[in-house]
Amino acid sequence: MSDPLTRLLAELPVAEPDPARAERTRMGCRALLAQRAARASASRGPSSGRRTVQVWQLLIAVLGVAYLTEVIVQALSVYGTP
Amino acid sequence: MERDTELALVERLRRGDPNAFDDVYAAFNTRLFTFLVRLSRRRDVAEDLLEETWLRLVKHAQRLGADTRLGPWLFTVARNLHVSYLRSRMLEDSAASSLIALWPFSLERSSPFEAAAASELERRIERALAAMPAASREVLLLVAVAGMDHSDAADVCGITPEALRQRLHRARETLSKVLERDAEGGVPAPGGMRSCPIR
Repeated sequence: MSDPLTRLLAELPVAEPDPARAERTRMGCRALLAQRAARASASRGPSSGRRTVQVWQLLIAVLGVAYLTEVIVQALSVYGTP
Repeated sequence: MERDTELALVERLRRGDPNAFDDVYAAFNTRLFTFLVRLSRRRDVAEDLLEETWLRLVKHAQRLGADTRLGPWLFTVARNLHVSYLRSRMLEDSAASSLIALWPFSLERSSPFEAAAASELERRIERALAAMPAASREVLLLVAVAGMDHSDAADVCGITPEALRQRLHRARETLSKVLERDAEGGVPAPGGMRSCPIR
């Protein structure tokens, strides 16, 4: 790296892009990166369809228990305790 | 950039950390722009290609390999975007060639660097670089200007290290000859600027 041509090329001035556009690009890319990461992490969690099934299963189980409890209470009130 | 720092940055990018993007951007933006503006010889084109390079990084961030080397990756994308740009320009130019023959002005233009170069010598080097074929110019820009090692530069250009070495040797010979020829009519060339051995 010590010959004159290489040294001259290495010492050529750098170029700076338009600062306003560079800042817009940086901010846009930041936002896009965060958005894509959020979407990826959401898709890794339980899907909304599976969550809906789980809620329905829980609701049916609660209603079933409530129904059976009510049946027992009614039966006891009609026939009385032994 | 230290390799450990780079690997940590890649990992954070893969997780979508915007601050990691800022760090990569700060480390490479000026180098990429300098490379692109000398390669394309136009600021507006270089700015478009630079923006697209960063967008490609964001789009591929989650799929980056854990051992990705950011410099070669970014320069490869930038270089490939420039190749695509040249191809699209060639198509446009071939379609418009009949119109260009009628154009009343010369379409030759000086590079932005040439116009802004501080010294006569810099101006001559910029002019000589701008006049070189793109394939020769890109290897000089990667190795001598951006300071990339031969193996990384070969990866960026998609050629073997041996092919890069040969292309670099020819590019330096061409540049030396152009500068010498230029010096005959003006300011003397810097001492010993003959065909230089490759590093």
